[in-house]
Amino acid sequence: MKLLTYIWRNVRRNKLRSGLTMLSVAFSLALMTILYGYLAMQAYSQREATKHDRIVVLNKLGFAAPLPIAHIGKIEKLDGITCATPYSWFGGNYKGQRSPFAQFSVDPQKVFDVYSEFDIPDDQLAAFKKQRQGCVADKSLAEAMKWKIGDRIPLEGTIYQQDLDLKLVGTFEAPGNTGSLWFNWNYLDEELKNSGAGNSGNAGSVQAKCTSAKAVALMSDEIDAMFANSDYATRTRSEAAFQQLFASFLGDVQSYIRYISMAVVFALTLVSATAMAMSMRERITEIAVLKAIGFSKQRVLALVLGESTMIAILGGLVGIVMGLGGLHLLSSVPMAASLFPIPVIELAGSWLWGLVAVAAAIGLVSGITPAVLAAQQSVVDGLRQVV
Amino acid sequence: MSTPSNTDPVVLVRDVYKEFRKGETVIPVLAGMDLELLPGDYLAMMGPSGSGKSTLLNLIAGLDKPTSGSVIVCGQDLGKTSQSALAKWRSRHVGFIFQMYNLIPVLTAYENVELPLTLTPLSRKQRVEQVKTALEIVGLGDRMDHYPRQLSGGQEQRVSIARAIATDPTLIVADEPTGDLDAKSGNEILELMHRLNEEFHKTIIMVTHDPSAAARAKRTLTMADGRLVSDIQNSTATGTTA
Repeated sequence: MKLLTYIWRNVRRNKLRSGLTMLSVAFSLALMTILYGYLAMQAYSQREATKHDRIVVLNKLGFAAPLPIAHIGKIEKLDGITCATPYSWFGGNYKGQRSPFAQFSVDPQKVFDVYSEFDIPDDQLAAFKKQRQGCVADKSLAEAMKWKIGDRIPLEGTIYQQDLDLKLVGTFEAPGNTGSLWFNWNYLDEELKNSGAGNSGNAGSVQAKCTSAKAVALMSDEIDAMFANSDYATRTRSEAAFQQLFASFLGDVQSYIRYISMAVVFALTLVSATAMAMSMRERITEIAVLKAIGFSKQRVLALVLGESTMIAILGGLVGIVMGLGGLHLLSSVPMAASLFPIPVIELAGSWLWGLVAVAAAIGLVSGITPAVLAAQQSVVDGLRQVV
Repeated sequence: MSTPSNTDPVVLVRDVYKEFRKGETVIPVLAGMDLELLPGDYLAMMGPSGSGKSTLLNLIAGLDKPTSGSVIVCGQDLGKTSQSALAKWRSRHVGFIFQMYNLIPVLTAYENVELPLTLTPLSRKQRVEQVKTALEIVGLGDRMDHYPRQLSGGQEQRVSIARAIATDPTLIVADEPTGDLDAKSGNEILELMHRLNEEFHKTIIMVTHDPSAAARAKRTLTMADGRLVSDIQNSTATGTTA
């Protein structure tokens, strides 16, 4: 019999208490997995974004300010630019639901050249380019919404005072779940002109593909310089920088997550320490017997710390699995897809080991006081009832 | 099981005083105690509660240290030995038998007996042999996989005895080993202890309140108020109930 066997038997000694302690660790670690998973996804997205040599052009005044569609022609003429598309947030309601997924008006002729890593069957792309009211959706979104090719997708305008009647003509597959629907920018613009609703001719933003990674920085400067003295000055960023900016609108999420995690870990350590202290209190005589037959202080320490750590690690592993399941669910919900765009399988990395280490640390720290008390306990006092 | 070959005292207690402090109050428990045990001795300690017999047992077993005087067991001056060294010393030289058996409830009979052996450098094969031998000696070779809750009180105490002898210690200390048992089981335990002493020449110190149990030992020492009242050789000591 090894010490580990004895520790495992002690973990199973009071199944209800150990189980509840494991569950408390599990739920907390599940929460942390989701929070840190969000950070990992953001970091992953930013890393991915640097691979595709794209830039995002916005009005210098920000997201809400218009960007004339005429800018695109000028941008495309630059040597470092391969192609460009308008990319305008529509934000419409769908069947009474308030903007349940992301909708962008784009140039069907160019958008899949700009997003060249996205896959769409040729016939569907051809239909998208041809049909004025045609739209394409991320395959994950179409599955979540149970859309089939040919389905009509009515959108009620909120930002634009214009309703749209779209028809799904294709689905695309992206490296992550974009949760997006793309439709023809011309369709929206013509409808706006026809209805006199205003806001026509607005590209929203411009997504452009550069010829190389080196060109990204050069083009950003060049585009901003080109429009610096116009009525619609621009602010151009790499796609990665743009994503960073977008994420920063949620505030200093990283700090919030750290503070929340610290609070969770602290509370959890106290809960686990209480459970271990109760467990040790019930075993005063047993510890004394162990010491009487020759167990050293170090061995008693190892026994107690091993038990508390094993409980916390097992709970932590369950929690991490639960958290990854939660991330998987979130990444497949259209409304949350933009925050959790990456498949969970892509997220395996050192941050998961970090969470296991957090669980182990909870176990170690929560076991320290009971372990030290057990190791220091007088054998004679512990055996008083029996010797 | 090895047998001692020399005649040096196993236990040598000289002018031992032991006091406990409770705040400002000093409580004397042992007052100038002397005792000598030779290899193969079987000593029963009797006396009223508070007479100091358990304290003396703790000192001899290396669980506590005297306020003054010396306690030398198996050649080791226990008063001058550090706590960590004492723990190691106990694992080699002392086997414990407790009134309430004090087996580890989550371990099987086999694992309980093996527990003190995990502190030794013995190989797994050697440990298996010693555990099996110890359990065979106490007659529980067929109960190795039973947990304490699956055993009767008498069987638990026999496992406890197997655990005490598994490391082949020089000295076995037993505190009221029959105190929680019915007459039949108690008699079996006393018989087993007699056998350990006679057959395997183990030196045994047993604390008991039961005169008939004490009569089974070779010597009966009676204490009162921390002092030795009498030390009688039981010439009629036997392994069976009188």
